[in-house]
Order: sequence, then C-alpha cells, then structure tokens
Amino acid sequence: MDLLKGLWVTLKYTPEPAFTFQYPEERRPVAPRFRGVLRLQVEPETGAQTCIVCDQCAKVCPDELINLGGHREPGHKIKVLDYFDFNLSRCSFCGLCAEVCPTKPVKALIMSEDYELGTYSRNDQIMRVDEMYDGVPIEPYTR
Amino acid sequence: MGLIDHRFEDNFITTNLDRVLASARATSLWPMGFGLACCAIEMIATSTSRYDIARFGAEVFRASPRQADLMIVAGTVTKKMAPVLRRLYDQMPEPKWVISMGSCSNAGGPFPTYSVLQGVDKIVPVDVYVSGCPPRPEALLYGLMRLQDKIKKESTVLRKERVIMAGQSEPVLVEDRG
Repeated sequence: MDLLKGLWVTLKYTPEPAFTFQYPEERRPVAPRFRGVLRLQVEPETGAQTCIVCDQCAKVCPDELINLGGHREPGHKIKVLDYFDFNLSRCSFCGLCAEVCPTKPVKALIMSEDYELGTYSRNDQIMRVDEMYDGVPIEPYTR
Repeated sequence: MGLIDHRFEDNFITTNLDRVLASARATSLWPMGFGLACCAIEMIATSTSRYDIARFGAEVFRASPRQADLMIVAGTVTKKMAPVLRRLYDQMPEPKWVISMGSCSNAGGPFPTYSVLQGVDKIVPVDVYVSGCPPRPEALLYGLMRLQDKIKKESTVLRKERVIMAGQSEPVLVEDRG
C-alpha cells in the first residue's frame, strides 16, 4: 500500500514539464523581506544626501564592517558625508544597520534587492561611497 | 598541454587556437563541490532543475578531485579542514580554478576566532569571490559567469601569456619565458 502511495505521488508530478529560471535573462522575483546588498539612498526629487552621519549603523554592526565619516559645512543643515566604507567580505546580511537607520521619510540605508556579487579580489569587496549609491531605490517592507 | 604551452608567437593560428581552448575550458567546467556548511545547500540547489547549472556546462559535480577543474569552496573552512582542502586542491589536475562562495570562505564570516580560517585565499588561490550569507543560487551562477569571463581572457599557446593578476579585471602581458 505504501509503495502504491509513493508511486502515485511520482505519477502525479510526472506530466508536469521541468521548470527552470533562465537566470541571466530572467530574474526570479525576490521575497518582500529579502535582504540584498546594502545601499545608500538619496532624496527621490532633489537627489540630496539623506544620510545624517549619525554613526548608528557602524555601532550596531556585529562584525564592525561599516566606517563612515563627515564634516560640517556652513551652508548645510546636516553633516556632509565624506566616506562610507562598507566591507562586504564578512557581511552576513543581518540587516541591523538598515533597521537602526533613523532618517525619515526616506531611509538613508536600505537592504536592496541586488544580490549579484562576484569579485576577482578581496579589495574589490570593500565598497566605497560612490558604489553605495548605485542601484534603484526599492519599496520598503511594512508590516 | 606541456608540449604547446607558451611556445609560439602571436599569429593567426595560435590566437584562434587559444580562443578555442579558452572557450572549451570555460564552457565545460567540472566543479568539485566542497560543501562545508549551509552554503552547500545553495550550491546543491544551483544544480537542481530549477536553476540548472547544466546550462553553463558545469553540472557534473565530481566527488573526486582528479576529475575536476573547478573547486567551489562553500562554507566555513576550519583550521582542521584547511590542510585537507589544500591537499584536495593539489590533487586537482591543471588547469584549475577556485570559487570562494559565501562570507565564511571569503573572509571568515562572523567567526573571527582561533579555530576558523580567515579566508580560504590564505591557503589556495581564489579566482572569484561570491558574497552572500549564503549567496542565492543566482549569485553563484553570476560568479560562475564572472569566472568564465576570466577564463576566456587567459591564453595557453602564445609565448606571451596574458594573465589576470589578483585584484585586477583586465589581463596583462607576461614577458617572454624563454
């Protein structure tokens, strides 16, 4: 009887065609809470900097992978971001850094949907501030 | 390959032969799955019909290093495992490549401890580092495509060899080997 049950399950799946994502051409849609590589965001209309250099992401990171710094300028209300070094090599994509980011309404630091990460050297895995801005802003997940 | 390696000048036949060899190597990589932790599950998922690494000619996961030319190190490499990994790498026949998959094998991941190797590149030369914890199967396929790009830029027959140095993406010319 068990054998027949097993065979029936196999038989049910047999007529279905094999299903493959043709990856480079089509991308599988990611889950709504998917955590990809870290990105900095700008104001959508003006393109102004949203990061206020509060250093919270650097403090909360369990592996201490984020280094950032800025300076005050007379015309600006917020600090100007000078450098934002993100060492990707050890990152376990826990998302704590994006979670503590306090800027509103646009979060400065998000986990994006990008996951294509392949480098030829370990030095390339340290992302600089200009690389952090690439990529599209994505809809944040709300509970 | 020892008979023809780096013995001929640039000309029509050798450059084309080089291209054929590089393309043959790039499109029939036989990986040795070195699954050590959770990344191994994603590596296995890459070989299933849903992602189908066979589309890149790399579906034959060999259990033996003698039949493989690509090592995918997937997972945390402990210091106890490190000599074994190096030995298996040495047993692979030339030409051979290494993909380091996941944060643990890239740099030790969240384990900066005495028992974990801080990056598999401490013991074997790594060609492509795939980041992720663990990387999605697509990310591994992306890493494989980056490796294929790299292999297609290397040269075999020409006297002046073009190699991609560590940390670079463009090949440079190595001077005459005499």
